Amino acid sequence: MIRFNPLTIETITRFKRIKRGYYSFIIMAALIVISLLAELFVNSRALIVKYNGEYFFPTYGHIIPGEKFGLDYDYETNYRELKNKFKISSDDNFVILPPVPYNPYEIELKEGAYPPLPPSMSDKHYLGTDKTGRDVAARLIYGFRIAIFFSLILLFFNYIIGITIGSLMGYIGGKFDLFFQRIIEIWDNIPYLYAIIIISSIIIPNFFSLLGIMIFFGWIGMTWYMRTSVYKEKEREYVLAAKALGASTSRIIVRHILPNTISVIITFIPFSVAGGITALTALDYLGFGIPAPTPSWGKLLAEASEYNINAPWIGVSVISALIFILVMVTFIGEAVREAFDPKQYSTYE
Amino acid sequence: MNLKNLKHKLFFIILTVAVASSCGDKDNQANTGIDDENLNIDYSIHKLDEKLTWISNDNEPIIASPKAKKGGTFNSFILTFPLTFRTLGPDANNYTRTYFLENQLSLISYNEDTDKIMPELATHWAYGKDGRTMYFKINPEAQWSDGTPVTADDFIFTIEFMRSKHINDPWYNDYYTTEIEKVTKYSDHLISVTASKKIPDLWNTVGISPTPKHFYGKLNSGFVSDYNWKTEPNTGPYILKEYSKGKYLLFERKKDWWAKDHRYNKNRFNVDYFKLTVIRDDVVALEHFKKGELDSFGATRAEIWYQKAKGEVFDKGYINKLWYYNQARRPTWGLYLNLDKDIFKDKNLRYALAHSINFDKINKQVLWDEATRMQTFYTGYGKYTNTKVKAREFNLAKVDSLMKASGWKKGNDAIWEKDGNRFSVTITYGQPLLTPRVEIMKEEAKKAGIELNLELLDPSTSYKKVMEKKHDVAYMGWSTSFRPSPWQSFHSDNAHKPQTNNINNLDDPEMDKLINKYRNSTDENELIALSHKIQERISESGGWIPLDILPFTRAFYWRWIKIPDIPGYKTTSDIFSYPAAGGYFWIDEDVKKETLEAMKSNKSFKPELNIITKYK
Repeated sequence: MIRFNPLTIETITRFKRIKRGYYSFIIMAALIVISLLAELFVNSRALIVKYNGEYFFPTYGHIIPGEKFGLDYDYETNYRELKNKFKISSDDNFVILPPVPYNPYEIELKEGAYPPLPPSMSDKHYLGTDKTGRDVAARLIYGFRIAIFFSLILLFFNYIIGITIGSLMGYIGGKFDLFFQRIIEIWDNIPYLYAIIIISSIIIPNFFSLLGIMIFFGWIGMTWYMRTSVYKEKEREYVLAAKALGASTSRIIVRHILPNTISVIITFIPFSVAGGITALTALDYLGFGIPAPTPSWGKLLAEASEYNINAPWIGVSVISALIFILVMVTFIGEAVREAFDPKQYSTYE
Repeated sequence: MNLKNLKHKLFFIILTVAVASSCGDKDNQANTGIDDENLNIDYSIHKLDEKLTWISNDNEPIIASPKAKKGGTFNSFILTFPLTFRTLGPDANNYTRTYFLENQLSLISYNEDTDKIMPELATHWAYGKDGRTMYFKINPEAQWSDGTPVTADDFIFTIEFMRSKHINDPWYNDYYTTEIEKVTKYSDHLISVTASKKIPDLWNTVGISPTPKHFYGKLNSGFVSDYNWKTEPNTGPYILKEYSKGKYLLFERKKDWWAKDHRYNKNRFNVDYFKLTVIRDDVVALEHFKKGELDSFGATRAEIWYQKAKGEVFDKGYINKLWYYNQARRPTWGLYLNLDKDIFKDKNLRYALAHSINFDKINKQVLWDEATRMQTFYTGYGKYTNTKVKAREFNLAKVDSLMKASGWKKGNDAIWEKDGNRFSVTITYGQPLLTPRVEIMKEEAKKAGIELNLELLDPSTSYKKVMEKKHDVAYMGWSTSFRPSPWQSFHSDNAHKPQTNNINNLDDPEMDKLINKYRNSTDENELIALSHKIQERISESGGWIPLDILPFTRAFYWRWIKIPDIPGYKTTSDIFSYPAAGGYFWIDEDVKKETLEAMKSNKSFKPELNIITKYK
């Protein structure tokens, strides 16, 4: 069990006291967990199938061909059709489908109507379909999963690199600092969204290569803040004391300085998450993000702008979702900042 | 005009469909321009010692309407302002160049319905005995827009100009070196043009355009930059009058155009001005159109035709709709399999892939069931089209038997496997518009046990990848030519090497034999028979999976724009885009006034839907 020091516990209590941020945090955390289990809620594969006394759980694992259930094809079973079939027959076979019985890639053909189709409760397209006839709700949820994890991984690596280089710049100072300052200034002047667009129009990015490209340009942000705070911290007595005791540079930075600058890092996190999501969405919107047919909010946005009032359900869904997530992230960020506000608890020497 | 266009369009569309800039091409081609000093262009007068039978043709049917009125400004839009007004050289391969080229007439043109030659700059023509020379009498009235008469020297200058290394355009350098041997002058208004070899449809190659010698003089290395924004004198009905970079281009009708009273030009080119305004987005352009700031709007795509024709201006009949069926030669949209890839070495797998493409579903789902399936590589070429060749249909049972015959088995993920290989291939394409279609292909092919990975690249990157033959499967289309030209696409001469059009890497001795015969034949019946055999062979190879054709063009237009009852030929693919090419429509100012007043007083008209099925 990790034991928090009293200051941290106090910070957490203070964070909990700021209801708006705290509940946002809980909702966000819940959404992330749910999105990990999205296959159970939004999927074309059934949750449970009972066929001739045998139970099947098709959600995870290999596909089950239609032949298994007495259908006349050997590709993946269409469980919605299977359900209808079982309904008609009098056996005790049954199919339990997830609440949204579509996967984000599936294209459903409807006689006499052309996508995008408006929301329909009876078809269980709760948010309608997009221009190729795929379920908007399914694409939103899987798109969220990709966006949020993209953003979190991006944040993790950006911070690792940014914090390391920033701290070293602050701590070592001198020529090392000067050198990296210049490097970062140059780096910073590359318009990074454009650079990404250029690169991804030449190589076709997937999740990880896009992540790589964005880390390549995105680590700079943290360095300046870390450099400043480390500069400040390293003149404090506790650092001198640690030095006098013979602690190594890495130990001083990691064990002594970092915990004292943690507030800087943590207050930035929510905004970095929001930044990651919007950057990915913007790239997808422009067509330079993760390639089709991966579900993505940016592509839904692009469709929304193409169809605007002719298919308002696309725009309304994705824009509401974006606003909802970004507002919550902002609330969390605000609460974190307040929780770490030194004015409330510490006296400065 | 048409004649020349065809060549240019070929080049243009090929590069835009698959889109690449002319620069891209240049990087990969050796500069074929010879040092200009060594061009040895002969401007001297020769003696004509051949006895010639002069031909002219004033009997082709005309489609222009005698009701046409002159006047008015036709407003249209372009997505980007051109980077240059030159029609060749760097950056010239843009959309707007067509507007300049349409105004450069050629010696002859042809009727698109009958394929018969018609006079243009030449009044008469005659065939030489050698089978590769044609003689032309240049119309003495013909003059450039600056008043200078068009003479034999301007045609000879075309050769000098096109071969010059200073134009910085290898494609033209090459074309005018390998296809055209020389232009010979017999008097100021009598020339002959000689092709480098005997070819069928000789007129189609030798009916060249003049280039204003007095305007260019001696070319030098400054050509590309010096002429970037200069308006070249032309011989056609319109000339660029003014422009504002990044904003608009305004073309003006020549009031005393030398050819205006010719039979084929009467009642055409009616609008006084046409203005091309830069609007950088289609959706925004549509809004401009609905406000009456643009006179017509292309609506061939179903989403536009069915979903965007909404609102008062449509309901009250201010805007009319035109649906024009055509039988144009069809661009070869389809999947091009790279036969050099191991997986496609087995013909069964090529067939299996073809049988796993659910065209009907694509058509129903995203093309509004309006497309038809292309069946053979050369569709719309009249007798040259083999109507017996059929595309392979979506059929899972056939995929099954083909794959089993080759010893493949389905793995756990229901994808075919053999010796550790999965049947997983990547489709490379260059237009976001195609994404919904390939997404459906992917989902349907999965049912057949084939995994398709989608790779949308930026257009020029995609083109480059295909040209370097690095693709598995390319989704693209070549533009058309006057006659089937299989050598570039299917001869083994062009296989296994980059920068050639045989993107299938098809290497088939049988096919080579047929193509060689086809290239050397000048007998029409034999050519047709060979063309049919070649198409069978293409289908048999399984290297190309044909996809969709849209057999019509559609547009919205304000009711003051009037068109003849039949506003085009069987090959017409756009009624309003090129006022200088077809130019059969006109603006009725009275109707315009009436409409604008009606809009103010909220009066409505009966909405008009004009469906023309003559060429259905």
